[in-house]
Amino acid sequence: MRVLRAQDVGKVLLKGGPARVNEPVSPRFRPGDRVHTRTINPTGHTRLPRYARGRRGVVDRDWGVFIFPDSSAAGRGAKPQHLYSVRFEARDLWGPAASARDAIYLDLWDDYLDPVEVGGSAAAPPDTPHR
Amino acid sequence: MSHEHRHEHGGTPQRPLTETELRVRALESLLTEKGLVDPKALDALIDTYETKVGPRNGARVVARAWVDPAYKARLLNDATAAIAELGYTGRQGEEMVVLENTPTVHNMVVCTLCSCYPWPVLGLPPVWYKSPPYRSRAVLDPRGVLGEFGVALPDGVEVRVWDSTSEVRYLVLPERPPGTEGMSEGELAALVTRDSMIGVARVAPPVRPAAGTPA
Repeated sequence: MRVLRAQDVGKVLLKGGPARVNEPVSPRFRPGDRVHTRTINPTGHTRLPRYARGRRGVVDRDWGVFIFPDSSAAGRGAKPQHLYSVRFEARDLWGPAASARDAIYLDLWDDYLDPVEVGGSAAAPPDTPHR
Repeated sequence: MSHEHRHEHGGTPQRPLTETELRVRALESLLTEKGLVDPKALDALIDTYETKVGPRNGARVVARAWVDPAYKARLLNDATAAIAELGYTGRQGEEMVVLENTPTVHNMVVCTLCSCYPWPVLGLPPVWYKSPPYRSRAVLDPRGVLGEFGVALPDGVEVRVWDSTSEVRYLVLPERPPGTEGMSEGELAALVTRDSMIGVARVAPPVRPAAGTPA
């Protein structure tokens, strides 16, 4: 069992505990892509808030490859994958009473997202099979 | 073991302990007795965030961005590196992103799932930031929440709420208030509040000395 000692506190705090992973994982989405969040109800840890499940948004930025908390928190490994900033229009989350101008940005991992089918035809299938 | 916890701010509590406080004490005693927690390390942690790391760090970042356009550009492009230039790094600041407020876009930050917060630049989060009402209403009714903080935004301003669901930590770069031309970086930093860097307040213009008072 590792115990944090007083003399190590400063060092440990400065070092931090990065969640970014240096692994060559391909992104499934690019900025500008329309995405649909999955409707999931895991019993364990997840970072996909209920209010954003089953909603449509647009990928704003790709932050790179990060540990997937749903998997790592359950002791099932890091399952590294791309993390994106996804923009949701306030009205797409809360309905017409919300401001038409406002938006909510969430950081979401590949495993939470499906492509939105464009123009009636299915979008290109993801490179990496998920599930 | 001793029940004198050195970080208990002295004196006898004037009120009965809450259930949470009792639970924390029980846990701390147990963990200490089992040798899993070094009480001196706890003290060092508390001292760090009470006396060393706090929102004055973030205020220095903001003031530097206001006076140095090249720094601001670096800050918006790679906040982690630009903030590290001022010496602020580490836990809960490993992946920093800075959001610039403008006359047309207002950013505010929340963690609906818990209490994620950029420690190296803001210290530990205030109680309201961790409270369920703020966490639920910031995303549902940001303009209402901002109004309660005293920020009235015109309809034409776009509100962007950033829910910290990952290890990315957000710092808002508030607008530089009018009337601050010619102020030094240090004077500017003194104007910057914690709440303005969470995005629930504006930075107020400097209070002008009363008429007849030498500047």
